[in-house]
Amino acid sequence: MFAFILRRTIQSVIVLFVMSLLVFCMINLVGDPVDMLVNPESLPDEIERVRRDFGLDQPVYSQYWHFLKGALSGDLGKSYVFGRPALALMAERFPATLELAFCALIIAVTIGLPLGIYAGLRPDGFATRIMMGMSVLGISIPTFWLGLMMIILFSVILGWLPVSGRGDIGVFLGIESSIFTMDGLRHLIMPATNLALFKIAMVMRLARAGTSEVMAQDFIRFARAQGLPRKRIIKSHLLPNILIPIVTVIGIEFGTLIAFATVTESIFSWPGLGKLVIDAIINLDRPVVVAYLLFVVALFLTLNLIVDIIYAALDPRVRLQGDDT
Amino acid sequence: MRNDPLLSIKGLRVEFPTQDGPLVAVNNVDLDVARGEVLGIVGESGSGKTVLGLSAMGLIDRPGRLTAGQVVFDGQDVTKYSESGWRNIRGNRIAMIFQDPTTSLNPVQQIGAQMIEALQSHRDISRDNARQIIRNAMVRVGINSPDERLNAYPHQFSGGMRQRVVIAIALLNEPDLIIADEPTTALDVTIQAQILRDMRRLSRDTRTSLVWVTHDLGVVAQIAQRVAVMYAGRIVENGPTEKILKSPCHPYTEGLIASMPANALPGERLHSIPGGLPQLSKLPAGCSFAPRCNYAASACNMSPKLIQISSDHAVRCVSPLDGGS
Ligand SMILES: Nc1ncnc2c1ncn2[C@@H]1O[C@H](COP(=O)(O)OP(=O)(O)OP(=O)(O)O)[C@@H](O)[C@H]1O
Ligand SMILES: [Mg+2]
Repeated sequence: MFAFILRRTIQSVIVLFVMSLLVFCMINLVGDPVDMLVNPESLPDEIERVRRDFGLDQPVYSQYWHFLKGALSGDLGKSYVFGRPALALMAERFPATLELAFCALIIAVTIGLPLGIYAGLRPDGFATRIMMGMSVLGISIPTFWLGLMMIILFSVILGWLPVSGRGDIGVFLGIESSIFTMDGLRHLIMPATNLALFKIAMVMRLARAGTSEVMAQDFIRFARAQGLPRKRIIKSHLLPNILIPIVTVIGIEFGTLIAFATVTESIFSWPGLGKLVIDAIINLDRPVVVAYLLFVVALFLTLNLIVDIIYAALDPRVRLQGDDT
Repeated sequence: MRNDPLLSIKGLRVEFPTQDGPLVAVNNVDLDVARGEVLGIVGESGSGKTVLGLSAMGLIDRPGRLTAGQVVFDGQDVTKYSESGWRNIRGNRIAMIFQDPTTSLNPVQQIGAQMIEALQSHRDISRDNARQIIRNAMVRVGINSPDERLNAYPHQFSGGMRQRVVIAIALLNEPDLIIADEPTTALDVTIQAQILRDMRRLSRDTRTSLVWVTHDLGVVAQIAQRVAVMYAGRIVENGPTEKILKSPCHPYTEGLIASMPANALPGERLHSIPGGLPQLSKLPAGCSFAPRCNYAASACNMSPKLIQISSDHAVRCVSPLDGGS
């Protein structure tokens, strides 16, 4: 187990390094941040001074070298716009995004899993056809369009839910989150559902495919031949076997929930990472964009590792490579 | 001691709808299993042996279904049973062992847990009592040091061991009837002989009826008192093992006996019946074996009736061979 984690960590550091190189070079091809930083009427020597101050007069490789030195000591550069460390900005915004993604995941699993299992158990049922039809919609309708429709329906027409923002934040066991206040929940429910819709459809399809595959296996038939009650078969034979692939996918999907929260956050003005990075891209705030992209890469690497460990815990047949114990 | 048969199948017909029309997997089958009897069912691959066994458990896969006939178990017509009625019989009074031992066990559940489930779904007993019964069952099928095995997962067992576990599970609730569907084909010859011996002894000691499905007449000779020969969904010959092996009345049985490895002359090619099973959805009129039969005559265009050769020996052929000539 330890050897496995160590090997994966070393691999991850290499991947991060290569990614930072790519990201850094590519972002230097886009626009000139100085144009965004100075008043358009400034004099040329004023512009030159700003360029020097930010180190943008240096060649790309020395800028990268400078960045890399900083990165090794935990400094990913300062935001051009806010004048504060990019990492600190991200750390401030991260809880909001995490909370949103987490709620979306819970919604996706609690709705998607039972529906998918039902559909897998009754492949020809009327309800199944309706659900599968809906899931096609869930996958093909753009998130932003649905988000706007939700705002129009629930906020503008019905007036049930607030249009945007994060709402009150409560503290429980030292964790700050809007889950803990009524107002916070009212703000959270719409963006979280919006973010979850795609994943509900996905979890449902996975669960359905898994269920129909597992139910056709010999050990299910053998369990029935032993006279096991249906509930028992579902609980101890079906569920553990379909959970293995679902957990894997959900783990990875949690990363995409965070990464793709950008659209939802923009529509609902949710003060999270996604909104931060969209603003940073518009303002050519390079350090923030680079820090965000590297963060997303690191997130995916970590999630992959965690998923592999959980996978091995769920499936006794799996042994982690490099694990000799 | 009661003389009525334990299991009595009457005029049974099982169909699977296919694109070419209904596939008749079991065709007008009559079969009795006496209390304490070991009955062998032989026939080549696809002749309907497994489907026949499954229909005695109410486990025919949809869309297949019983279209005619009755299954009477211990005086009760179980054909009309509800799912919960079946549940009380399955594993409790009739147990079935499936063809492939490697896939009959849930891969992600410990052996012990699977066995406890099988017990507790029919009896209200404590875990300690259950463990004691499980230990006994495991020792009975030749698994040494059962305690160490209980926490193991199926993949940690060899194929032979897994099949023993499956047999032990079938024995747990002391059923009146065990249907064993080629349970030893995956095992090597010595283990196969050992299991056959153990099962025969078990049947004698506890008066458990045994239906042993196989395509190997040699196995039938070792274990069964009576044998039913199946061809294309029908029972074509039915009688005491010794009589049938010595003087078969159906040309198909004669062919099967000739193709037993034990009957091959050294250096000579193994005999095999020419041709293959007819398509079960397009059965020819008349005898379905006629196209492959050496003795076929024009009378074979008529559907043959079951002819009683003697009180305990019947054959479905218009011109039965007269015993060994
Ligand atoms: N679930 C099913 N759906 C459709 N057809 C089926 C199904 N199960 C069995 N059949 C058909 O029923 C016929 C009899 O199959 P069965 O499995 O009973 O044969 P068998 O005698 O057990 O053969 P084997 O020795 O290979 O196990 C075959 O033609 C098979 O294709
Ligand atoms: Mg079979």
